[in-house]
Amino acid sequence: MLRNYLLTAWKVFMRRKLFTAINLACIVLTLVVLMVTTALLETAFFPTGVEGKSGRFLQVYSIYSESADRGTQRTSRLGWKTVERHLKHLPGLERVAALTGANQVSVYQGDRVSELDMRRVDADYWKILDFKVLGGRLPTEDDERAGRMVAVLNETSARRLFGDAAAPGRRISVGGQSFEVIGVVADVLHMNAYADIWAPLTTFPSTDYRSRETGDFTALLLAKNAADLPRIQRDVERAALGFVSDDPHRFALTRFWGDSKLDVFARELLHNYDQADSGGARVLALVGAAMLLFMLLPALNLVNLNMGRTLERSTEIGVRKAFGATGLQLAGQLVVENVLLCLAGGLLGLACTQGVLWLLEQSHLIPYLEVGVNLAVFGCGMLLAFVFGLLSGLVPAWKMSRLDPVHALKGNA
Amino acid sequence: MLRHLLKLTWQRKTRNLMLSLEILLAFAIVFGIAAFGLRYLQLYRMPIGFDGRDTWSVQLRTDGAEEAIPADVYATLRRGLMELPEVREVGFASYSPYRNANWTTTWKSPVTGAKVRTNIMQASDGVAAALGIPLVRGRWFSSVDEGAAVEPVVLNRRAAAALFPGVDALGRQLTDTEDGATRTRRVVGIVDEFRHKGPLMAPDNFVMTRFAPLARKDRVTTVLLRVAPGTPRAFEARLNERLKLLRNDWTYEIAPLPAKRAAIMKEQLVPLAVVAIVGAFVLAMVAFGLFGVLWQNTTQRIPEIGLRRALGARAADIYRQIVAEQLLLSSLAMVVGLLLLAQLPLTGALGASLDWTVFGAAALVSMATIYLLSLLCSLYPGWRASRLDPVDALHYE
Repeated sequence: MLRNYLLTAWKVFMRRKLFTAINLACIVLTLVVLMVTTALLETAFFPTGVEGKSGRFLQVYSIYSESADRGTQRTSRLGWKTVERHLKHLPGLERVAALTGANQVSVYQGDRVSELDMRRVDADYWKILDFKVLGGRLPTEDDERAGRMVAVLNETSARRLFGDAAAPGRRISVGGQSFEVIGVVADVLHMNAYADIWAPLTTFPSTDYRSRETGDFTALLLAKNAADLPRIQRDVERAALGFVSDDPHRFALTRFWGDSKLDVFARELLHNYDQADSGGARVLALVGAAMLLFMLLPALNLVNLNMGRTLERSTEIGVRKAFGATGLQLAGQLVVENVLLCLAGGLLGLACTQGVLWLLEQSHLIPYLEVGVNLAVFGCGMLLAFVFGLLSGLVPAWKMSRLDPVHALKGNA
Repeated sequence: MLRHLLKLTWQRKTRNLMLSLEILLAFAIVFGIAAFGLRYLQLYRMPIGFDGRDTWSVQLRTDGAEEAIPADVYATLRRGLMELPEVREVGFASYSPYRNANWTTTWKSPVTGAKVRTNIMQASDGVAAALGIPLVRGRWFSSVDEGAAVEPVVLNRRAAAALFPGVDALGRQLTDTEDGATRTRRVVGIVDEFRHKGPLMAPDNFVMTRFAPLARKDRVTTVLLRVAPGTPRAFEARLNERLKLLRNDWTYEIAPLPAKRAAIMKEQLVPLAVVAIVGAFVLAMVAFGLFGVLWQNTTQRIPEIGLRRALGARAADIYRQIVAEQLLLSSLAMVVGLLLLAQLPLTGALGASLDWTVFGAAALVSMATIYLLSLLCSLYPGWRASRLDPVDALHYE
């Protein structure tokens, strides 16, 4: 039966090549936009590569404090003291890393000024994230303890500062501090890995940061395995409840949460600092709804085109009806045809998506972007194509199934 | 003729309904993008209230410290920086212009008693000269205000009108109620406008208060420097060196304001670029669909066209009919769309960001786009229909 459907579908598609082409072009355009979005979201929230262990670590991104009457509220990144006292010693963790945000710094070389984004990180950072070392080495605990002024550059910045010459061993002046470059790593865009230049924490001009409860730090908590994460989240929540602020009269209650990347994003977006639910599910639902909405117009387009085609096929439909096919069977056939076309469009779209993503990477519109189509994106794309096929096939199919066989046979629907 | 066309359109109402729905959606999308872009253009052409071309900003990074900075540190910084030959003026402010940040506070209007929310910035005596803020009336802060019983403020015109409707704001007093404590201030000057986020920021109420470290312990971390025109970027290294001499335990984020302006403009224009690209995709799809449907329509109407030709209609008449029918359908869809979209400025749902000027211009742009699209899509099917031989057309099927 399905073979018959396929054959008919093929014949119909080939009879009107122009329409098939237009249909396909619509489907491909829609799916390319949706799949590029999916691929970008996937890279942002479920990355592979440098932050490939994302499924196994949580991050504590913000610390939120409020007064007893909730009149005064404060949200900020964590201070070193908070990480050291409340997070480093949580039980059952493999590692805990602290990193600052990527802040803009100026690198001076004679008359030249280059603006780079710099992070200060501790030694565990390099063990949680799997950077690809292109030359030299990464900072060690020894460097950190001794407070050596060493720095790691990424590939693009190394080329910008030193041209084709080898960067390790050279010295740079970052905002008036002199650093020795000890390593070069590959460019990366991920949330915690993004930066142009990295230096150990102990290269801060003063040690004031050690006594602050708020500051510019994010903590990464690496679990031994992914199953431990819910327990660690509860531990983090408990640690926050036991937190006593330096100014307990002003800030009676403090909260921080162990979050996945999606949770961090949702929490920052929705300001859900004072509740365990980050709103990640809501954000995902919103993204899904936006995608469906975006599909509406091309679906309408396809409905229009399909309706025309249905009328052309009224003789065929009349014959089938006269021989006893039910409306449901006919509708099913048209939906199957449409879904097939959409899946074919999906495959084509996947190839185009790969091309668009490649162009996006080459254009350097988003620095250090590295995004590919993997199995998850492929699956998502096919699912989108399927939904799209159903969406755009239902109305014409319903109309087709209602045709009166007598009129249909005469060809004047 | 029009009545006849309307009748023809009505007879194919189910198909045309779907088609007009599609055109309506496309119209709404183009309208949205056009309104977004035109609003930016409108904002871009308004004054921003400061010059900033020869101004540099230095952000002091004190690595998480939050306590007040003593007054003598500010005095040392100012003196040390003024010694540099390139530096003409030094001011301190709570944040730099062209920074994507909002500091707001609520004031009580002494005239109406209503609560008015405004942007607020602390600025020292040197800021007006460092940034190039022209005053419309009154004066900027100066050492005269040091130790005065009532602290001075400078308002922009919008804030003056909101706080003192119908009366002259200059010289009057107002109170703010932040942090539980009530403080009284006196208006000493009025500026035309101040839009700290740059040319794409919607005009808003703005109040500037005097930064006076001697009177009250405080902490502002932005230094604004007026430099000699044409100072090269390489000056940054020497500036940083000098700052490190003055305070070694801080780090400094130095940037000329023109560079910050370019960065924030880019940041604000990216969303527009993204929606425009997506919109272009959508329009391409609509064009494909419209073209396909019109092609099908003309194919189905070959006998009708043959009959018209046989009765003496010229090729040009047929051509005109196909194009006119499509334009009519587009117009109907757009009239419905405009009626729906007109609710936005009527109800004021989007406030000042969609006033009638923007609405009218956006409606014109989007109508032109849709008409152009309809015309382009109907040209080929129309041409094809007009070229039919009446004899063949009558025998079609």
